Parts: sequence; C-alpha cells; structure tokens
Amino acid sequence: MSGQTGEKVIFAILGVPMLICILIFLWILSLLLTGIGTVRWELFTMSALRGGMLEMIVGTIYLLLGAAAVAGPIGVLAAIYLVEYAPSGGLTRIIDQAINNLAGVPSIVIGLFGYTFFCRHLGLGVSLAAGWLTLALMMLPIVIRGSEEALRMVPASFREAALALGATRWKAISSTILPAAAPGVVTSVILGMARVAGETAAILFTSCVLITRGLPKTPFEPVMALSYNLFVQIVALGAPAQRVFGITLVLFMIVTSLSLSAILLRSYYRLRQPWLRMKG
Amino acid sequence: METRSFKKGLPKLFMHLRSQPIEFVLFLCASFSVVILLLMLLFVVMEGSLAFTRLGTQLILGQMWKTNSDLYGGFPLIYGSLMVVSGALLISIPLGICTSIFIAEILPFQLRDPIKSVIELLASIPSVIYGFIGVTFLAPLIASIFGLQSGATAFTASLILAIMVLPTIVGVSGETISAVPIEYKEAALALGASKWQTIRNVILPLSKSGMLASVMLGFGRAIGETVAVLMVAGNVAMVPTPPWNYLAPVYPVTAVIAMQMGEAAVGSLEYSALFGLGLILFIITFAVNTIADVIVRRRPVGRSVQL
Amino acid sequence: MVNDAKVDIRNLNVWFGDNHVLKDVSFKIREKAVTAIMGPSGCGKTTLIRAINRMNELICGCRTSGEVYINGHNIYDGNINVYELRRKVGMVFQKPNPFPKSIYENVAFGPRIHKMANGREIDEIVERSLREAALWDEVKDRLQDSAFNLSGGQQQRLCIARALAVKPEIILMDEPCSALDPAATTKIEALIRRLSKRYTVIIVTHNLQQAARVSDFTAFLYEGRLIEYSDTKSVFENPRSELTKNYIAGKFG
Ligand SMILES: Nc1ncnc2c1ncn2[C@@H]1O[C@H](COP(=O)(O)OP(=O)(O)O)[C@@H](O)[C@H]1O
Ligand SMILES: [Mg+2]
Repeated sequence: MSGQTGEKVIFAILGVPMLICILIFLWILSLLLTGIGTVRWELFTMSALRGGMLEMIVGTIYLLLGAAAVAGPIGVLAAIYLVEYAPSGGLTRIIDQAINNLAGVPSIVIGLFGYTFFCRHLGLGVSLAAGWLTLALMMLPIVIRGSEEALRMVPASFREAALALGATRWKAISSTILPAAAPGVVTSVILGMARVAGETAAILFTSCVLITRGLPKTPFEPVMALSYNLFVQIVALGAPAQRVFGITLVLFMIVTSLSLSAILLRSYYRLRQPWLRMKG
Repeated sequence: METRSFKKGLPKLFMHLRSQPIEFVLFLCASFSVVILLLMLLFVVMEGSLAFTRLGTQLILGQMWKTNSDLYGGFPLIYGSLMVVSGALLISIPLGICTSIFIAEILPFQLRDPIKSVIELLASIPSVIYGFIGVTFLAPLIASIFGLQSGATAFTASLILAIMVLPTIVGVSGETISAVPIEYKEAALALGASKWQTIRNVILPLSKSGMLASVMLGFGRAIGETVAVLMVAGNVAMVPTPPWNYLAPVYPVTAVIAMQMGEAAVGSLEYSALFGLGLILFIITFAVNTIADVIVRRRPVGRSVQL
Repeated sequence: MVNDAKVDIRNLNVWFGDNHVLKDVSFKIREKAVTAIMGPSGCGKTTLIRAINRMNELICGCRTSGEVYINGHNIYDGNINVYELRRKVGMVFQKPNPFPKSIYENVAFGPRIHKMANGREIDEIVERSLREAALWDEVKDRLQDSAFNLSGGQQQRLCIARALAVKPEIILMDEPCSALDPAATTKIEALIRRLSKRYTVIIVTHNLQQAARVSDFTAFLYEGRLIEYSDTKSVFENPRSELTKNYIAGKFG
C-alpha cells in the first residue's frame, strides 16, 4: 500500500503546476473584472473624437473580417490540396514545413514585412488593406491546419461513395467532403480570427493610427484598432486607467468570445457527428 | 492523380481538362506559404542590406545601441532577449510539462476537456492585454517586493512571458503524450504497473522528443514576443551589471524594432538596422521551428500494426 | 458445473455510457484449464475478460456492477490492490504490443516494476519466462535486439513471456492469434495447451475451430448475455441453445 501513497504524493506534486495555471487564469480574469466597475459603457458607442471607442471597435472588426476573407479561402483551398491531392514527396514536405515556419514567424517580423512589401512596394500605404493582408498571413497557418484536421476526419467511405457514383474528384470533394467538414473549417477560421483579434505588433506599422476622423471609407485609409490604441496609450500616453480598462475589456471580450465559440463549436460538432465519436 | 488516369475517349479528356485548373488553383494556394516565406526573406534581407554592409558583425556583436550617435550594436539587445526568454522558459518548462502530464494521464476524464479549454483561453489572450496586466499589476508588485524604483525589469518580462508560453508548452507536449499508442499503456497497466510507473517507464520515454519540441516551439514564441515584453522590460539598451542581474531593465530585440520603426526614416541606417534585427529573429525562429518539426517527425514510437 | 472455481463471476453488468454491454453474466471458471469465450463481434467478449483484471475502468464512461471473485476475494471490493490484482491476472492482447524496447527489457519490465528480483535473478526470470513461452531458442542470442525485429508470432509469444514473468495465476488472452498467420497460430495454440497445466487460461476467440482445439470449457456470449457455458465437447456436439447451434453452424458472426 505504501507504493500507492507514494504515488499520491507524486500526483499531488504534478497537480500543483496545473493548479498554478488555473490560478493564473483566474487571477487574470479577476484583474480584468475588477475594472468593469470603472468602465463607462456609453464610451462604446461614442466617437473617438469625443473620447469614445466606436472607431476602434469597428476598426478591429473590419480588420478581422477582411483578414478572414483573405486567409479563409486560401487556407481552405490549401488544406484541400494537402489532404486530397498532395503527392507524398519532397514538394509536399516543403509546403508542410513552410506552413509550420510561417506559423512561427514572430508577429513583429510579419509587421516589418507587411510594411515594406504591402505598404511600400505594393503602394497600399498605411491602410486597412495592408492590415488585412498582414493579419491574413498570421491567420493562414491556423486556418490550414484546422481545415486539414477537419477534412481528415471525414471518413474515407464518404469519399469512396461519391467517387463510386462517378463523381470527379473535385465534385466528390465539393459535394460530399467539404460539407461534412464545414463545421471544422468554420471553427478553424474563427480560431484564426481569435488569434489575430488582439494582434498589435503586426499592425503597428502597417495599418493603424491613433485617431481617425470617422471610419475609413475605403480600404486604403488607415484605421483605428483596440489593440493598437491600448498599446499606444499605455506605452506613450499613460492614459487614465478607466479608459485603458475599457479598451482592455472590450478587446478581451471580443477575443474570448471568438475562442469560446470555436471551442464550443468544436465540441458540439464532435458530439453531433457520429463518425467522430470513436475518436474520443 | 486519379483524374489523370488512363481513361479513354474524348469526353473523358475534356473532363480531365476541366478538372485541371481547379487542381492548379489548389496547388497555388498550398504553395502560398512557401512563396510568402521566400518573399519575407527577400524583402527583409533587402531592407537590411545597408546595415549588413555598413555594420557587418557589429550588428550582432557591437556593444552600443545609441540611435542619436548612429551606433547600432545589437549585442545588448540580443542579450536582453535571451535573458528574458531563458528566464521565462526556466519557469514555464517545469510548470508546463508537469501540467501536460497531469492533464493527459491523471486528471479524471470529465475534467480533462474543461481544463484544456481553460489553457486554450489562456493562449488566446492577446499579448497587449498581458502587457497591460504586467504594467498595471505585476510591475508595481515586483517593485515593492524587491524595493526597486521601477518594476520594469528582465524578471518582470520573464514572468509575463512565462505565462504567455505556458499554453504552447502544455498544448504541444500534451499532444505528444496523447499520441503515445494506448497499446503500450495498457500493456504496462495489465502487468500491474501503477499509473505513475506507467507514466515514468512507458509514456515519458516515448514522449521525450515531443516535449523537447514543445520547448523549442515555446522558445520560438517567446523570443518573437513583442508587445507584452516591451511594456515591462524597462527598455534600457545595456547589458545589466552584473550580467545575471534579473532585476535590471533590458531592451529585447523585438521591443527595439517596435519602438523605433515609427521614427526611423525609410532608407536610413537605423531603418536598415531594424530590418537587420528582424532578419536575426526570422532566422532564429525559422531554425527553431524547423528543428522542432524534425524532432516531432522522428518520434521513436514503434511501427504501428495495422488491423 | 465447476466446483473448484478459480474465477467466479456473479451478476456482472458493464455499461459504456448508455450502452449496456454485459448483462447479468454469471459463471465460474475452473483452475488450471483453458476456458474459451466465443461469440460474434461486438458481443462483449473483450469487455468480459477486461472485467477480470479491472482494465475496463481505464475507459472513460465505463461502469461496472456485480462481483468477480478470484480465489474467493471479490476484486471489486474497495480494499483490493488493483496493481497486485493485475500482476496475478496477466493479459495478452489482440494485437501483439511489445514495448519499443529490447526483447530482454520487455520481459524484465514486470519483475522490475514489482521489484521481484534484481541483477542476476532478473536474467533468470527472463530466461525462464522465454522458455515457458517457447521463444528462448529463437531469441537467446539476440536478447538486446529491439522487440520490433521479431515476427508477429514471435512478438505475441514475447508478450506471453512478458506476462508470465510476473508469476501470474490467471492468463487472459484476447483473440491472441487474430493478427497472426496459420503457422504462428499453431505454435501459440500448442503453447496455450502447455500453459494450462500451470495456469488458468481464459481465451477469447471468434474462431470456432480454435475454441474447439484449445479449450476445456467454452462459453458462448451473445449481445452481452451468457447463452451457453459447458465443457467444450458438449457445447460443440449438442448445444442446448438455438442461438449457439446457429452460431456453430456459421449462420452468423
Ligand atoms: N472503449 C469503448 N468505448 C465505448 N464503447 C465500447 C468501447 N469498447 C467497446 N465498446 C462497446 O462495447 C461492446 C462490446 O465490445 P467488445 O467487448 O469489444 O466486443 P467483442 O470483443 O466481443 O468484439 C460493443 O458494442 C462496443 O461498441
Ligand atoms: Mg474484442
């Protein structure tokens, strides 16, 4: 029996780090929540020119949607290629490796690249469009990996059934496999959005300014964003705490609701789709 | 490719032609990542070329980074980055690996998914919010504990960074633990091995390399982290005295780029030096990620018998 | 019908989530004999033998009720040491699962875990177990080779040796030959016969001939219920249940 007591001790020792992780999370949550009382909610809908944060919120949403519109289709099509067509060989390995490496490029370096390539060489200037493209680069690996996983989970029998009916490969994919994988694909796009919603370094030089007059009317104008404003106000301006708290909270809520919905969506469709159940 | 197989007849031929453009588009999308990486390398090198020719190895080894005097010696910055990152990893590796083992093997089944979700949420908090927390709560705490004037130190940056890379380490090493074939676990348990003996003698040896990969990925994330680090590191471009003094401010590479890009005139030596630093980061993270990938691919898990 | 029961299963029920997999299974298993459990795929054979060394509880969502007595002790009692139980009740899996270690280390794993021996004594245990599993002559010159270099049949015998090394009293085998070719199967069947002189062997199979060849007693399981249980000869020659008759006649499964 003493062996079992020893084991309990070891497990307790291993459990403490996990508790620390949970406590860190709760600590952060509580820090943010203590700020709620000081937030003036009317600021959310007030223009930035009058001290509100309307343009920041809308600007962040613009950035997110545009980046998703760029990275979503490319990522999904890339995933389809990798799962359904890619021959196993040197080139595929290189592509695979490149996706991982792209995921690992520091966001500040992506920002540098975005600035020189999109803003200067493509002539987009500091603009919403440059922000879309830059953020899309950060989303892309997440979308590809997530969609790949979703596609791989579609059982081979679906594919074979469609192909046996005489469908071309692409028909089989677009009519049978893609619909079955759709929830997973959507989840991956949402996860990608969650990942870049609070991104700062990548849009620091490419698309944001501290203040604009109203919302951008074309994609070639700069935007305001929650993350950028938060950054500048803390680093440069030392803004009053309540304003900073307000921005932090909104940003936190946007990011957390995106990731929570991705998590929930994933567990929901894992339950719904009977062929996934075995995988635990 | 099956669509390109030996089907005869004209209509079939047309079908084949019709299906080819789609394949080509798919291939282009997949290759996009490769193209972007190459472009990235090309443009960063291009913008940094002035600094490489004018500064040479000074960009890495030079002791002084002083924009006013046009001195761009990157050593204190690189040193600052490594200092902050090693401090962070020292904290987050033991924490992260123990957590991943506990979640994957010891925690009751019902709690595993919820806890994993919490870790995932921790991962999704943006770095600017971590920076905010660091500035508002952690730095004052550090200042008062150690009796410092300012809580913006390498140690503070390490702490914040440790929290930020924790999910990466937990996630990736957790995945490798779950990837250990259940057959091995059951074999050990059926011999009467206790849970802990199974973990120590079967699971850990098989997931060692994956854990190493998780550490490499954590390192890559940490060294590239910008905004949060910038807010709490103090941003003084000097090697602390003594060099292991974690309670001194440092100026990590990423922070320098973020802070100075805005003011650097395009085409100036400063501008180019910042891209030079960017290239260093790019190369480091590229190498680290590639190594991690190779490690993961070479996992010494035996052949799996197909049934 | 079995009086000197080594294993006595009473009203065993197992659920996986809402799936009621074993329904009120009761029977007694004779010591030092081979008992075969047969039945169509998915009827609960694996679950039944995994109930005898409490391996089911490792599966998420599994619930068990009823009693299993081994040597007169209910293994589902709270004060049973499950690690000691699993040492006494060895298990061989459907697909050979040697550890990714050397042949020697595979066999030595159990004795080391249970601190049954050290140094020289381990060498002896390894040799004895490999001999008992009829593998010694084939591997004695390459004990340090990886277990994966062995053929499938050899791997399965290695797994049997690994189980024997911790001196079990009962050996559970879950379709041990289903991944093997006929020659390897023959060897393992012969081995099972020999083992039954010293151990209580419970073997799951859905191969009828195999059940007939190796077992002294046969249980027929169907949709989680024990339909028939008797000595092998009577089960095959005059089954009492219509279901058993049809199964033996190859009408399903
Ligand atoms: N790990 C598991 N989780 C959920 N259900 C399971 C699991 N293992 C087996 N089952 C279910 O239990 C039933 C019996 O399975 P099993 O004992 O493996 O049958 P057999 O070995 O006779 O083929 C099956 O219906 C199967 O779906
Ligand atoms: Mg079975």
